[in-house]
Amino acid sequence: MSEARARVAGTESGARFRRYLGRPETPALAFLVLLVVAFSVLSDKFLSVPNLESILTSVAVLGVIALAVNQVVLCGEIDISTGSMLGLCAVAGGAAAQSTGGFLLPLVAAVAVGALCGAINGTLVTLGRIPSIIVTLGMLYALRGVILLVTGGAWITGVPNESRVLGMGSLFGLSAPVIVLFGLFVVMEVVGRHSTWGRNVYAVGGNRRAARLAGLPTNRVRFFAFVLVGVFVGIASMIYMGRAGSVQTNTGTGLELQVVAAVVIGGTSISGGRGSSLAALTGAILIGVILNGLVLVGVPGIWQQAVLGALILLAVTTDVVRRRLVGDGV
Amino acid sequence: MTEPEEIRAGRAAATEAPPVFRLDGVTKRFGGVVAVEDVAFDLRPGEVHALVGENGAGKSTLMKIVDGLYGPDEGMLEVGGEAASFSSPRDAEASGIAMIPQELDLFPELTVAENLFVGRKRPRTGWGGLDWETMRGEARKRLDELGVGLDATSAVKRLSAAEQQIVAIARALVGEARAVIMDEPTSSLTERETRQLFGIIQDLTAEGVGVVYISHRLEEIFEISDRITVLRDGHHIKTAPASELDAEELVRLMVGRPLHELFTRSQSSPGETVLEVRGLTREGEFEDVDFALRSGEILGLAGLVGAGRTELAQSIFGIRHPDSGEIFVDGKEARIHAPQTAMERGIFYVPEERRSQGLILPFSIKNNITLSILDRISRLGFVSRSERGIADRFMRELSIRGAEVSAPVNRLSGGNQQKVVVAKSLAREPNVLLLDEPTRGVDVGAKSEIYRLMDDLAKEGKAILLISSELEEVLSMADRVLVMREGRISGEFSRGDATQENVMTAATGTAGREVSEDE
Repeated sequence: MSEARARVAGTESGARFRRYLGRPETPALAFLVLLVVAFSVLSDKFLSVPNLESILTSVAVLGVIALAVNQVVLCGEIDISTGSMLGLCAVAGGAAAQSTGGFLLPLVAAVAVGALCGAINGTLVTLGRIPSIIVTLGMLYALRGVILLVTGGAWITGVPNESRVLGMGSLFGLSAPVIVLFGLFVVMEVVGRHSTWGRNVYAVGGNRRAARLAGLPTNRVRFFAFVLVGVFVGIASMIYMGRAGSVQTNTGTGLELQVVAAVVIGGTSISGGRGSSLAALTGAILIGVILNGLVLVGVPGIWQQAVLGALILLAVTTDVVRRRLVGDGV
Repeated sequence: MTEPEEIRAGRAAATEAPPVFRLDGVTKRFGGVVAVEDVAFDLRPGEVHALVGENGAGKSTLMKIVDGLYGPDEGMLEVGGEAASFSSPRDAEASGIAMIPQELDLFPELTVAENLFVGRKRPRTGWGGLDWETMRGEARKRLDELGVGLDATSAVKRLSAAEQQIVAIARALVGEARAVIMDEPTSSLTERETRQLFGIIQDLTAEGVGVVYISHRLEEIFEISDRITVLRDGHHIKTAPASELDAEELVRLMVGRPLHELFTRSQSSPGETVLEVRGLTREGEFEDVDFALRSGEILGLAGLVGAGRTELAQSIFGIRHPDSGEIFVDGKEARIHAPQTAMERGIFYVPEERRSQGLILPFSIKNNITLSILDRISRLGFVSRSERGIADRFMRELSIRGAEVSAPVNRLSGGNQQKVVVAKSLAREPNVLLLDEPTRGVDVGAKSEIYRLMDDLAKEGKAILLISSELEEVLSMADRVLVMREGRISGEFSRGDATQENVMTAATGTAGREVSEDE
């Protein structure tokens, strides 16, 4: 088409600029920089190494889960069961830590429970052909119920320190949660860019029918995306337990929507096929920066929800405007 | 316009009546590059004015200017002799111009009557509610005028493609359209439905309505149009009465170079049977289908839309599961229950809907081409760098033009997108290719390239099943023609015996004479 030709010519002139503008996470990154500058000006406590590290530490649980849910969203599905799943994984890990102690066994227990939950989600979505939002909504309630049944409403306390390494440890002056978050980010970024699995995820989300006709295992890809969420939630639950030192029955309540918010704010398309791990990470950090910055500049806590909501709407709007500018078609 | 004027306009159609609308010196740019430049076009009352050109020639852009979707950068638009400037299709409609896009903009969940009144002032009852009785009556009246027995109360999603097309036309008529722009109206219609549409177009023109007819099908254009305007690369090449042009000349004007042979088919010498199907049946779709396909052979599969051809091909590829019957690949029985197994046996299916089934639109050209061979070009789960070279090779071999290999695939024109879909299947190096309408919605230039490619592939010894609703295509390309009707094989013809009449008779089940009027 002549229009298409026009677009090609346009990209050649401002190729580099447009390519950066066209990346899904660009608006979120720009907004993050803007916010960091604004909060630094408004509060002298904001831009300090301890504060920045505390922000990253506080979003580690959110960020790790967002990295995995990002894959689910990329392949055109959604997972809103992660809040309760985090609670159940933490209960499993906490119980293991109480009875045997040690670092590895609680982690394995938490990851195994998470993977099992993810496998149930994945099976119902692929073989059961039930929309993922329904499946994971059901799981959100069901898993919370399991937590109450298993614990009888009691807290898990007295977790030994050696089991809390992922929350409390540090290496080269970086806290363990930050190391885990960035480590998993690098892995997911490489997987997303260079692995066949990563390519399959984008293909299935971009056009599931075409992917199937090209011989891609669309069900397997989606199934393992859900399992990945379970595994990452398991890891995140050990960060959570490590930091809190105890596990309550309401652990993770409301987290599932923050995770989806992080993914979407970061720039991954909710309809699948477009986005990146950097988007999920950026979205999570953005949420952390806002919550932290608002407190530091003295905005009352009751404003948090409203600001977060406005941010989600702003992010989606910017995305639409950007795609029009780049000529992607909406 | 009032009633007497309409009648007069209708009578004056043959002579030099003032145009319904007129474009002059129209130029439209998108981001510095010209889509149409200095184009003149006018539509007289009661005429069918065909607008032809390859994909990207500017036909749609030009008509979107008339329909108020784009404003021209230069030049002027006159409607009924007065300068007009539309800012939306609603403005255009108020001036009596209606556009029926290729992808119909109907509401599938609503009824026919509701669709006719969407976006219009609807009659109200004395209580202020919607007056459904009047609306249904009006809808019935419009449908009767078109001479079709459609139920105004049935949901649009239950109608066939042809019936939906008719609803779209009726909607234009409810808006008292004086000019109707039809963009590829027959692309999803069967031969018989096309006849019906042409009848309706004739009725419209008899009443003085002007019709702009955009199509890739040359026979149709010569059959129904009074005048033809050719665009190429955004430029106005020629406007002439249809009687002064012939197909050869028209193709030359569109493509810009002499094109003696659209079709390329060398002498063939089919080899061993590579694919054989025995008694394949799937309830409600096809029944007891037998055929054999040999290497180096192009087997045409003709029939009407809905005859079960796509379903048959998809069952061989493992997307659908036949209830009974056997499939043999290279003489051995093959149990194919998924596309992966079909691909392992060397079979590849190229779907008819390239945007919804063939391409991953957010992907680059490269990633689309290598989609089918990811498992082959990756090591330890990581995609090898040889990917780029493979994509480059197919870009060259299939002359995919219009964007670089790493650009998003939706930057390409329809014809080039189709070549990407074919490239994706060739990358897998199949022995058997099931091509489902491989040239639908593709311009003449790309078509001829696809035909040449098919010929080359057959010469290399690949077996090709060519599903096509374009008779010309089947007759010119296939070594042997199978015809399907209502799920059964209703005819088989060798290249020598396959005539339009034979094939249409087998496809429709009617006497040859009735359908041979077509040509």
